[in-house]
Amino acid sequence: MTAAPVAVSAPRIELAAVQDIVPVAASVVPFALVIGSAMRAIGVPGGVGVLGGGAMYSGSAHLAAVALLGAGAELVMILAAVAVINARLLVYGAALEPRFRDQPRWFRWLGPHFLVDQTYALATARDDLDAPDRFRRYWLVAGLVLGAFWVVAMAAGMGLGAAIHASSPLNFTATAVIIAMLAPRLRARPHVIVACVSATVATASSSLPNGLGLGVGLAAGIVAGGLIEARRR
Amino acid sequence: MSAMVLLASSVVTWLLRVGFIVIVPARRLPEGFRRVLDHAAVAALAALLATALAHDSGAAWLLTPSPVHVAVVAAGLVAWRTGRMGLTVVVAVTVLYAAQLLP
Repeated sequence: MTAAPVAVSAPRIELAAVQDIVPVAASVVPFALVIGSAMRAIGVPGGVGVLGGGAMYSGSAHLAAVALLGAGAELVMILAAVAVINARLLVYGAALEPRFRDQPRWFRWLGPHFLVDQTYALATARDDLDAPDRFRRYWLVAGLVLGAFWVVAMAAGMGLGAAIHASSPLNFTATAVIIAMLAPRLRARPHVIVACVSATVATASSSLPNGLGLGVGLAAGIVAGGLIEARRR
Repeated sequence: MSAMVLLASSVVTWLLRVGFIVIVPARRLPEGFRRVLDHAAVAALAALLATALAHDSGAAWLLTPSPVHVAVVAAGLVAWRTGRMGLTVVVAVTVLYAAQLLP
């Protein structure tokens, strides 16, 4: 991925998607390994774990669900935690809705399955996806490649079990990818302000359970963005 | 039980994904709300970064110099100057390993 992706000809949009997503997909491998290991530790059957990983397609909420399941939490509590952690997907969906607006019905219902932090960040960083078919092909290739990495790594994690350690230094690759996606966007003052507010609030609230700090930080950043927009008018 | 939990969690997550795309399309939302969404990506990435870094030690990590700080600064500079994800990841991990080796 580059800071200002260059528009590519139609046949190459799939290649562009692969080039964008492979570094991202590689970076989530350690996290998927950890989730697979966690599922094995609480006795989730291999097939259920792998299919569940592909069906859920969501790291932090998946890990929270597994942890709560292991702790004996009720289904309602687990689903509430999943909903809170993944509430940001509503915001991502709203932001990407124009890209899905003129798509075939099947894609509008099934395409959003690949909506995660990484695919959202990649899609919003490109300026050559206005044509519905280009966006659709880019989105599907990126989502499928990321999903393949995700599911295979999760299966490997289930196979390796306790050999995986959550504190592996390789986990830093995911953090580095976030930095790589964030830093090029910090060229306009409003975005710098929004990022500072969001990061500060998320850090201050990082001790909240089940990843709630992430949602609180996101909400604070969006509010800051709203205040900036209000002052502009 | 694990199959039901994962299935139900998948359905909840999918509903959140299609919520403002198909069920209540975002174009029906107030314009002010949609304009604010332009900032959502930056806010989300910044919050993700903060929670990823604070995960192990909470907010205290900010005040405790560590090899991670060095790696974050190096990665941030590379990403800001080049915008290249692969290079950023390689530099970040290399710097982190190197900084951890220092006494």
